[in-house]
Amino acid sequence: MRVLWLRLGLLAALLAVWEVAGRAANPLLAVPPSAVLPALRDLLLLRSYPELPASLWLTLREIGAAYMLAVAAGLGCGFVLGMHRLVGRVWGPMLAALYAVPAVVWYPSLMLFFGLDAASKIAFGFLLGFFPITLSVLAGVRQVNPQFVTVARAYGAGAVTVFRRVMLPSMLFTLVGGLRTGLALCVIGVIVGEILGSKAGIGALINHAYGLLRTADYVALVLVTLLLVVGSDVLASLLERRARQWTE
Amino acid sequence: MTAARGELIAIEGVTKRYLTSSGPVEALHDVSLSVGEGDFCTLIGPSGCGKSTLLGMLGGLVAPDEGRLLVDGQPVTTPDPRRVATVFQDAGLFPWRTALQNVEFGLELQGVPAARRRRTASELLGPLGLSGFAEKYPRELSGGMKQRVAIGRALAIDAKILLMDEPFGALDEQTRVLMGEWLLDIWRRTRKTVIFVTHSLHEALFLSTRVAVMTARPGRIKSILELSMEYPRSVESPEMAALRAKLWSEIREESLRAMR
Ligand SMILES: Nc1ncnc2c1ncn2[C@@H]1O[C@H](COP(=O)(O)OP(=O)(O)O)[C@@H](O)[C@H]1O
Ligand SMILES: [Mg+2]
Repeated sequence: MRVLWLRLGLLAALLAVWEVAGRAANPLLAVPPSAVLPALRDLLLLRSYPELPASLWLTLREIGAAYMLAVAAGLGCGFVLGMHRLVGRVWGPMLAALYAVPAVVWYPSLMLFFGLDAASKIAFGFLLGFFPITLSVLAGVRQVNPQFVTVARAYGAGAVTVFRRVMLPSMLFTLVGGLRTGLALCVIGVIVGEILGSKAGIGALINHAYGLLRTADYVALVLVTLLLVVGSDVLASLLERRARQWTE
Repeated sequence: MTAARGELIAIEGVTKRYLTSSGPVEALHDVSLSVGEGDFCTLIGPSGCGKSTLLGMLGGLVAPDEGRLLVDGQPVTTPDPRRVATVFQDAGLFPWRTALQNVEFGLELQGVPAARRRRTASELLGPLGLSGFAEKYPRELSGGMKQRVAIGRALAIDAKILLMDEPFGALDEQTRVLMGEWLLDIWRRTRKTVIFVTHSLHEALFLSTRVAVMTARPGRIKSILELSMEYPRSVESPEMAALRAKLWSEIREESLRAMR
């Protein structure tokens, strides 16, 4: 409870600082919260950007597609690399090195390859989400205590049972953590992709408002995006808690 | 008690080599041993002499390089939980399962319906001294309790052979003695055939119908001691003291060799 009050207090203080600083600065570059509120109202009432619902829906679908691909490919690659020691030894370090490359450097080529439409955003979201998922599976497989596998085999477990009864529960925390990070990065990838160049989606609206120096609208759009990101993370954390309860 | 029992386990000329980064290591060399139905056979020998390897082979988890192992006259090739149950060296309980769920594990894999396996496992917890601990997780249990859960998991599948790899090795002396008495009681009631690995002379003499002393690596059977005294045994008797001295001199020799 005290944490909540402190948080609210901090938020109020930040808003106050923003208000004071925003009023003092050039209104084209910075806006105080008092100016954002009307912009937010106009946005939510679909006055300033009537295409907001369609844009949000497009962005959500792009995120969904990117995430599903990242999960499928990440789990697949992770398990193949994790189970086959030789393949893992060859590819594991390369994967980690690729992960360290700032992913934005790939974006121009993705746009050239996939065009300005949804495909390039999905590809970029996928690229960002794929690595943490794969690496978490790899780390998870390494976490499995070989003794547990031996115990299960002694009691009659075959490969499938070992996987279900020993590997999955052993690696669940790490795996769920990776899936959560992966989702956050997919969301970032898709939105950044839209901002860097697109014709539709919430990122395109942000780009539009920003380009026309409609700063209040721009901030309102950013707030809506923030809601999207926080919402997806809350959803992921709920799933994470469920997974924890399941293993306990 | 030592009246002619049928042979249940036959180990015939078994050799095992492991390939390590520093070349092949011979863990067992030409080991032969025969164990009768209802025997309590103890393996004792210096660390690294291949005792766990031998149990692993009996459990179908490790394949011999030479020789063969027979249970009931049939060669052991894969784990067969219907005939052999293993208690591993450091319990090996699944941390994500409660004590009860751990005991149920083997039955679950055999496809026993949930209600029935729950009943079987619950009935075991009493004699295991774990009645109030069914819903506890391994991290909430003491070392002795964990070992008893591991033993319960092995007993639950009701295989006639019980392999026990230093089951009380991690326990303090007092708990160990009590667990030994408890195990003796279980063994005498269930009439299982037990192969038991220990470093404790006291345990070997107190529990076994026979003791096989193994040599330092590569492990071989150095000698076999038949013990025909009635249970429960008093370790103080002159007969036991003599056996203890004999056993110690044999083990001492091998332990010294293993240290070199
Ligand atoms: N999987 C393995 N790979 C390589 N060497 C092993 C393996 N398992 C056991 N060994 C070696 O074989 C020897 C016997 O081991 P083990 O059967 O565990 O002996 P004990 O149980 O009597 O202490 C030891 O030297 C050990 O290092
Ligand atoms: Mg051992």
